[in-house]
Amino acid sequence: MKNRIKVFRAMHDLTQDALAHELGVTRQTILAIEKGKYDPSLELAFKIARYFNVSIEEVFSYPGAP
Amino acid sequence: MKQNTFYILAGIIGLLEVGVFWISVRFLIPYLITIVFIVGVLLLYLAWRKIADRQVDERSVLINQKAGMATFMVFWVIFFATSLGGAVIGLGAPPLPHFPRPPDERPVGINESIKPFGDGPGIPNESIRPPDDGLIRLGHFGYLQLALLFLMFFLYVGFRIYFARKYGEWESDEEQD
Repeated sequence: MKNRIKVFRAMHDLTQDALAHELGVTRQTILAIEKGKYDPSLELAFKIARYFNVSIEEVFSYPGAP
Repeated sequence: MKQNTFYILAGIIGLLEVGVFWISVRFLIPYLITIVFIVGVLLLYLAWRKIADRQVDERSVLINQKAGMATFMVFWVIFFATSLGGAVIGLGAPPLPHFPRPPDERPVGINESIKPFGDGPGIPNESIRPPDDGLIRLGHFGYLQLALLFLMFFLYVGFRIYFARKYGEWESDEEQD
């Protein structure tokens, strides 16, 4: 699953640590999601999208999906 | 202190306790293992309080679950195998049909081996028959099983590192550079 967390983070001038703190996860989790090593739960995915005030499809995309 | 360091410390302390237990049995010092066990638990408690990376999130829970399950599967196989060996020693291996044992080499079962001297309960005999080879080997198997229990800590740490790596623990990171 691809994501644009890094882009949104840059737009909001946020560090991984700050975003992790806001979402209640560890910085390693944010790093792993950004690198595509870990797919977040649906709950965390919604939290991320809601935090950046965008729809979940704008943050996450599934390869091959229309 | 990191969690993995704590588990390694727990494994080392456990193995040392097995060694002390062996010394206690060997030299008949019951208080030694009692005291050392309590000291070991206290040490682990103090070490547990010093764990720094105790923050739990969904990814760390997943890593713990996967590592725990993998350790359990390996543990089950190894413990089952050693238990089979222990049962063979304790109960006596049946002679193979093509290798019949002579009557005087009949394996001694555990019930026989711990039977006290004397013909009945009224006989004033406080001495117990010294354990035979089978019982001693069963005891040694107990040491092996105890050691395996604590070696599993190292295996658990190994699986934790493996799954943490799989889920991006040590990816290159511009914020750390």
